[in-house]
Amino acid sequence: MTSLRRTIVVLRAFWQLNWLEELQYRGNFIASLLGTVFWLAMAMLTVALYFRHTASLGGWQFWDVVVLLGIFNALAGVVETVFRPGIGHLPSDVRSGALDLVLVRPVDAQFYVSFRRLDVWRLADVVLGLALAAYAFAQSGRSVNAWVIISFVVTFAVAIAVVYAIWVALMSLAFWFVAVENMAALFDALFEAARNPVSAYPGALRFLFVYLIPIAWTTTIPASALTGRLQPALAMWALAVGIAALGASRLLWRAALKRYTSAGG
Amino acid sequence: MNRDASPVAAFRDQYAELMRSAFLIDLQYRASIAIWLIWGITEPIISLGIWWSIAAAGAVDGYTREAFAQYFFGVALVNQATLSWDAWNIDRWIREGEMNYRLTRPIAPIHEAIADNIAYKGPTAAIILTAWLVAAVFWPAARIPFDPGRWMLAIVAIMLAAAIRFLNGYATGLLAFWTTRATALVELQFGISLFLSGRIAPLSLLPPRVVHVAEYLWFPYVVSFPVEVLTGAVHTTAEYARGFAGQVIWLVIWLLLYALVWSRGRRHYGAVGG
Repeated sequence: MTSLRRTIVVLRAFWQLNWLEELQYRGNFIASLLGTVFWLAMAMLTVALYFRHTASLGGWQFWDVVVLLGIFNALAGVVETVFRPGIGHLPSDVRSGALDLVLVRPVDAQFYVSFRRLDVWRLADVVLGLALAAYAFAQSGRSVNAWVIISFVVTFAVAIAVVYAIWVALMSLAFWFVAVENMAALFDALFEAARNPVSAYPGALRFLFVYLIPIAWTTTIPASALTGRLQPALAMWALAVGIAALGASRLLWRAALKRYTSAGG
Repeated sequence: MNRDASPVAAFRDQYAELMRSAFLIDLQYRASIAIWLIWGITEPIISLGIWWSIAAAGAVDGYTREAFAQYFFGVALVNQATLSWDAWNIDRWIREGEMNYRLTRPIAPIHEAIADNIAYKGPTAAIILTAWLVAAVFWPAARIPFDPGRWMLAIVAIMLAAAIRFLNGYATGLLAFWTTRATALVELQFGISLFLSGRIAPLSLLPPRVVHVAEYLWFPYVVSFPVEVLTGAVHTTAEYARGFAGQVIWLVIWLLLYALVWSRGRRHYGAVGG
């Protein structure tokens, strides 16, 4: 436990420096905000286009799909704020041998590599996404109760854990194959599938996105919690999957680290 | 190498050399290219999936499930053959000073980019075409009618589309001589082209007013038109004439814009460095 506490103290110092550094580039905040608003608008127009030709998408009404879209954007914001600048840099650290400098520090290496750097301006994506989900929730005419809030918070946290485990899995490939620079692009491609509810995909694609690469669930389940589709049993399963995902990422990290021979090896 | 004195032959030799080196570099990054290919085809696959589900209840404005399948296989192929990423290269060239040695060469940097595009798009488009052929063997919905004459026209339309989209991306990228956010302008056009180029849906499914606006821009000519020539949605002489005329007009416009931005930008760049 002391090791974890020390890691947090070290990380807090890094975040403070990181924050001071980012404050110099306030123009980037405006640019990234405009970018987010633009891509959200494009995504909304896409959904609107689908609904010009249909009354429901895989059993989801228009505002339900917009709830899901907001959650997709919030989750993408977590990826941009934490995962891409943190664990996303692992392959280049492995290739250059810079990981040596992490391993000799008296901190938990996985924790440190994952959270060393935050792209703070992208937090706006999380806020905007959640705001859109809340707005669409209100538009859908549903009422809030404790179960909705609790089940959403839990399933959204699970979604973050699952996406994190996917990033650890993809980035750890760097320990086996050194040239995996654009593994992040592979994630971006597959994550696109999470823009729509899983039930909107026909058989073969559903098999691919839902069972083979279970990425589509990461938005569908939290959106189900907000749109009254989530059965308590499924929520329990989701929680178990989230814990399993974190455990798996830890085991994978340990196995991967054994392969590390630094740049000269 | 057999070099004769004529400037045309020298130019040809330089081009062959640029393409050879671009191809060899690509060969080194096979895994990366495979990932970019997956990235490129996910968008049409997802769109096809959604429209396929929507069309379960019957044809959508004349588009049956099979018509959607053919359309989005076409989008995957045409998009791969016409995609433009050059703005990001130019941004790096200017930001990190790699533009300097390119300016000292006897051949303009755009030729390196063209060679790079041909060396990359030829083989990768062939991979997508092969995947389409394999899919068509197993899945009747993905088959388009056999018509070599129309396929030849589609090849011409795809090449014109690739040229327009390349010049469009390259000229916009050259704005990096003045601003650090030229790539954002390319992304903006990329977002708009989701709809106006017909990447997310056939143009006829868009609201008529949007289609009307699109007709005055280059977007429909870079994806939608070549795809519809390929699938046969465009088939009358009048439609062919309109489409190819639009392509040629926009090719000339973007060629002129490139020439303008390049000559101005180069002078501006020299002024900053001097």
